[in-house]
Amino acid sequence: MSLLQIQDVVTAYGKIEALKGASLEVAQGSITCLLGPNGAGKTTLMMTVAGILKPRKGSILFAGEDIAGRAPHDIVTRGVALVPENRLVFPGMTVLENLQAGAYQRNDGKAVAGDLEKMFTRFPRLKERAAQQAGTLSGGEQQMLAVARALMSRPKLLLMDEPSLGLAPLVVEEIFRIIAELHKDGVSIFFVEQNAHMALKVAQHFYLIEQGRISFSGTPGALAEDEVIRRAYLGSAQQ
Amino acid sequence: MIADLIQNTLDGLGIGAAYALLALGFTLIFGVLRRANLSYGAAIMFGCYAATWAHVNFGAGLLLLALITVAGAVLAGAYVERLCFAPHRQGSAIAAMVASFAVWMQFEELATLVMPTHLYAFPALYEGAPLALGPYTLRIDALAMLGAAFAACVLLWWTLYRTRFGLAVRAVVEQPDAAALAGINVPWVFVRVFALASAIGGVAGYLVVASHGQITPMLGMWSTLKGLLAMMLGGLGSLPGAVVGGLALGLLEAHSQWFLGPQLRDLIAYLLLFVLLAARVPWMNTRSAS
Repeated sequence: MSLLQIQDVVTAYGKIEALKGASLEVAQGSITCLLGPNGAGKTTLMMTVAGILKPRKGSILFAGEDIAGRAPHDIVTRGVALVPENRLVFPGMTVLENLQAGAYQRNDGKAVAGDLEKMFTRFPRLKERAAQQAGTLSGGEQQMLAVARALMSRPKLLLMDEPSLGLAPLVVEEIFRIIAELHKDGVSIFFVEQNAHMALKVAQHFYLIEQGRISFSGTPGALAEDEVIRRAYLGSAQQ
Repeated sequence: MIADLIQNTLDGLGIGAAYALLALGFTLIFGVLRRANLSYGAAIMFGCYAATWAHVNFGAGLLLLALITVAGAVLAGAYVERLCFAPHRQGSAIAAMVASFAVWMQFEELATLVMPTHLYAFPALYEGAPLALGPYTLRIDALAMLGAAFAACVLLWWTLYRTRFGLAVRAVVEQPDAAALAGINVPWVFVRVFALASAIGGVAGYLVVASHGQITPMLGMWSTLKGLLAMMLGGLGSLPGAVVGGLALGLLEAHSQWFLGPQLRDLIAYLLLFVLLAARVPWMNTRSAS
């Protein structure tokens, strides 16, 4: 059953359409990744699903309900959380406050406190730095914080935009290890990645986006993988 | 000479506390939205006129008048946000500013339509003798302004750093998109910030009007100008700076009025702002909003 179903979504910046009718599905309980060259519309797609950008056309069904054009806080409340590109932690706020902000729409104080403890167990570095300003953390730690912040809303679907961007190889491996762990815990994951090699190792299904449209989809390990990786980096226009 | 200096300082701190309150509200809006709200003073005037109207028609008492003033300012502030700022969130800062100027005129017209006499009496906060401190005197309403400014600082700090709403405000200031992605209803935070800022301004407006014992439609422009001036003197967008800026403006006015006369009083404040801006003093954030 598909948890997220995107149909013919068009999102534009002024007159320029960044998504020109993109359609894809994310199955319940899966890890799905979206590959594509720079400027293909990956971030636009994520921001549209999360409600920061409003689509001009098309529908976005989450658990059967159309969330296209709804306010971001409403979409978070329904169970979709996005870890944005470049992490966007609140730099002047403490690590603890960042996590509390992630649970902002929740009213179950006790369960939130329990989830905080879970985050500190999963990310021990965040516990050590709980009282520190988020802006003083390293890039990898900020990425962990951004993931933990998103998890504090107890999402059914976790969206991640370029989680490995600008991070050292060891940290990238840890991020992907965490993605696999979260998946084991039952969170469905849909992520955008430039690092196609790493992405195809964890993903169960992938889509390739080129020039605002889904041009290919499949399962890692299939014959076309090399071609997909090449196009994910370079785009088909530059053949 | 020394005696004059001390007395002027006491007087200046009193009015400076009112300026500090005005600047606090102004700064709160500017700090959160990065937009100048020219209707800030007009919303305060609206609250004060609502209270005056209640006083003229029903003889409402002091405490009730204070409540009506604050409630009126809050309503007017929320109205300004919805009308002028919400539609231009992503758009032009100038458009929002010009819209807020237009609404300022709206409020002034409304005030003069409903209350056509130019000047109305407003019940004084306290009519007895000022407090004697040896050879010097401190007006009771000045004392009330200082107390209100202090209370506003404590309350504002507590709200921003110890409440859920404060957490949301700081998140929106630091990363608006990330705040929305964390599940914070950003437009609603803006409305509440406007309401809070207008409430602080309303307290200032009430104290000033009750201290003068009269009200005219000029109160709107007066509040906007003093608030803006104090906010800029203290460095744009800093809450402690707003308090310092307000007190400094009050002291500057009190001393220059005594030594140079009332005509030069306002000129001196603008001159100082000009010099400080031209000299690019470090505490004035001349860098652009980011």
